[in-house]
Amino acid sequence: MTETKSPATPPADATPTTATRGLIGLPLPAARALLLLGGIATAASAFLAWTWTSDFPGDLTVYGYPGGLQWLTFVAGVLTALFALASYGVRGLRWLLPARNNAPLVLTALGGFGVTWFTAIEIAAKLGGLANWEPGTYIAVVASLIPVIGAFALPQEAGESTKETLKAYIAKPEAIPAPQPIAPWIQRLIITIVAALGLGVFAYGIDTQYGEIFIGFLIVLVFAVWALHTAGLLDRFSAMVADNRSFTLAMGFLAAIAFPLTQTDDHYANIGVNILIFGTVALGLNIVVGLAGLLDLGYVAFLGVGAYTAALVSGSEFSRFSGVQFPFWAAALAGAAASLIFGVLIGAPTLRLRGDYLAIVTLGFGEIFRLAVNNMDGVSGPDITNGPNGIPSIPDLKLFGFNFGEAHDLGGFTIGRFANYYLLMVLVMALVVTVYRRAADSRIGRSWIAIREDETAATAMGINGFRVKLIAFALGASLAGLAGTVSAHVTYNVVPNPYQFAGAAPPNSAFLLAAVVLGGMGTVSGPILGAALLYLLPEKLVFLQDKSLLAFGIALILLMRFRPEGIIANRRRQLEFHETGQLDVPETTTLSDEPAVTKAGA
Amino acid sequence: MHTLPQQLANGLLLGSMYGLIAIGYTMVYGIVQLINFAHGEIFMTGAFGALTVYVYILPDGTSMWAAVPLMLIGGGIVSVLVAVGAERFAYRPLRQAPRLAPLITAIGLSLTLQELVRNFYPGADKSRAFPSLDATHSIGSVDITDADIFLVCAAIVCMSSLAWFVRKSRTGRAMQATAQDPDTAQLMGIDTNRIIVVAFAIGGFFAAVAALSYGLKYGNIDYRMGFLMGLKAFTAAVMGGIGNIYGAMLGGVVLGIAETLASAYISNIPGMQQLGGQSWANVWAFVLLILVLLFRPQGLLGERVADRA
Repeated sequence: MTETKSPATPPADATPTTATRGLIGLPLPAARALLLLGGIATAASAFLAWTWTSDFPGDLTVYGYPGGLQWLTFVAGVLTALFALASYGVRGLRWLLPARNNAPLVLTALGGFGVTWFTAIEIAAKLGGLANWEPGTYIAVVASLIPVIGAFALPQEAGESTKETLKAYIAKPEAIPAPQPIAPWIQRLIITIVAALGLGVFAYGIDTQYGEIFIGFLIVLVFAVWALHTAGLLDRFSAMVADNRSFTLAMGFLAAIAFPLTQTDDHYANIGVNILIFGTVALGLNIVVGLAGLLDLGYVAFLGVGAYTAALVSGSEFSRFSGVQFPFWAAALAGAAASLIFGVLIGAPTLRLRGDYLAIVTLGFGEIFRLAVNNMDGVSGPDITNGPNGIPSIPDLKLFGFNFGEAHDLGGFTIGRFANYYLLMVLVMALVVTVYRRAADSRIGRSWIAIREDETAATAMGINGFRVKLIAFALGASLAGLAGTVSAHVTYNVVPNPYQFAGAAPPNSAFLLAAVVLGGMGTVSGPILGAALLYLLPEKLVFLQDKSLLAFGIALILLMRFRPEGIIANRRRQLEFHETGQLDVPETTTLSDEPAVTKAGA
Repeated sequence: MHTLPQQLANGLLLGSMYGLIAIGYTMVYGIVQLINFAHGEIFMTGAFGALTVYVYILPDGTSMWAAVPLMLIGGGIVSVLVAVGAERFAYRPLRQAPRLAPLITAIGLSLTLQELVRNFYPGADKSRAFPSLDATHSIGSVDITDADIFLVCAAIVCMSSLAWFVRKSRTGRAMQATAQDPDTAQLMGIDTNRIIVVAFAIGGFFAAVAALSYGLKYGNIDYRMGFLMGLKAFTAAVMGGIGNIYGAMLGGVVLGIAETLASAYISNIPGMQQLGGQSWANVWAFVLLILVLLFRPQGLLGERVADRA
């Protein structure tokens, strides 16, 4: 290791020389009034007609009843207005802005502006010209601009350059004042509400029927979550979660189970089950990459091993062993065991070596698997996997007399085929999350982290590096194999094609790795979130189809450049990536004295 | 066609191509300890650069004697620009970051380059015809084409000039110094950033040479050609001992010969009739890599730190 870089200087050495005024010269009351009124106006403009024809998806032609993208504008406007009220210090809303900072106001205003202007531009582009705007559109466009003007008129210490000032506008304050102690039952109530809200947002995202609304949804979601983050509410919520860990897990689990009940169409349950499979595999990869720091570039092959094993013993008439039909528990174990064996076979020779070799050998193994499966059709190889045609017509699962292939009625809700599998996958996911969390907190898990941070030091401390790395690798492989056994039944057939290094649709090794990295290595929720995003993006943005991989590649490069720790950052990793130079910063800064960034307050 | 000398010649030719690409991996790894996964794509862009010169710049009916050097220049310019650009804009900002970050950047870069070519190069989503040199000469029982002769000559010229460059030239010695200890090298007045750029550029140019020979030999190129070739070339670099330029060439040749022999003769082994042939060649190449790593993890020639460049 080389140590050339001097410790980073703390940003913005608080130079209280320049006057704290906004980029746009307006007095503070005017700025706040603009934010509040603008937010209300934006929300109200959603009730106007934005175009004359229902050719634009979502039917934005009706006065008094918002449709499609207008709802998103409405939500963004309401959020802006709420934050504006909170900045006035209205009783009952102060909790929204614990640090009294401006960033959430700026961000929600930008979110409303973004989604409204996106819609207006899409209308003009799609229907051909500004002539398709109704007066309502003009009003909305202007109304959504007002809060942005207000936001940038808020007083803010000027940075060295305009860029620095803009950065300061959306920066999270260094210290969030410590919250009032909250009674445990209220904490649980809040967690329940958040879980329900999360389920609602997630279901809305999956149910979006066309690309435009999905983009609008993403704009609003990103800005809203960012605003909550800069307001410090996410930190408070995670503190709450930390106090009620098992309750939160139970609520998350319940919300996940409730998802198919919110769906009327089994198609969306299909998307849900695919996200879960993808997320489960990503979580397995997270053990290997995120905890143990081993780069596995052929991980999808283990999913394939599991899927093929399950297909071979499923009793499908096209299987080589068509007479054999294992019960599901046995097939699942067989799939996991087969993946485990391959994991050990690949891992044992390479894990003794430097990490880079593992990357290349796993990449090679991923390719070998696909090529071998492709060749084993009886013509250019032994007859095992039926070659490029794969193994079709895998029968549906039957578990304790419960046929997964049929729709069932459950208290008035119809649970379709994919919803059945969805619920099964929720169980598998819960199992994997448990394994992950227990493993990460165990002695072995701590050894993984030690190895990841500094292998030499860890070995010197008496950790058997090879052994714990092999355990991580084998555990990750068998979890992927387990997910593979379910996925074989969900998709009816297994073919070699999806198990490649990079393809246009998940799962493939590059997407899996990206899900882990994008979501946040070493966290539980990160890879699941990353998997959901990466699955939904190509699914919803059909018009990107050709360019989706291109966008994906560019996104990977930019992500590594600007936020290498992922969306949900593991604290230790964040410090590592940004080289603040110290690891022993206290977990939460509970400053009761004057917070750093409240100079905006009147 | 299927005699042993012919197979050996085929393996040697394939291996020279691997070796040329492997140089790019091994030099970059030797200096900055980075696996440049996008190197296969640099190879691919070189092929498309050469094709562009032939199809869109040169007039129809240009003699191949004039066309090949110009194509080499065109492909070389594209590859070197891509390699140096990747270093400057993708890898350099991450030089102090943990190892995983540049690796993931490399994967992103590799996808980006592939997709750029597929989406924006006319006709590149299917394979495109490349002018091939397929006039055949017989030497004893061995048949070789003009493209093979070009490949062998190019590989020999490239390798010997690289060996001379690294050992004798001022920049080459600065490169060795940087590979040994970048910090000390910097203290001794070596502009290490420049050295790294030079390493990427040389790797890029060698990849373009390999790409041109690939096109001339096989007669068509496509946007995915870089993935497998890059993977095999990296395998070759690891087999030879990563960081070692002679090792890269040797590893390439060994891998090429092993692969050719495996696809030709494994089916003759009793009990393995169905595991021979071209469709299993890649499988055997990776099996060989795993075996080498198992028994000689430092590679055939070893990672000679002192001679790294």
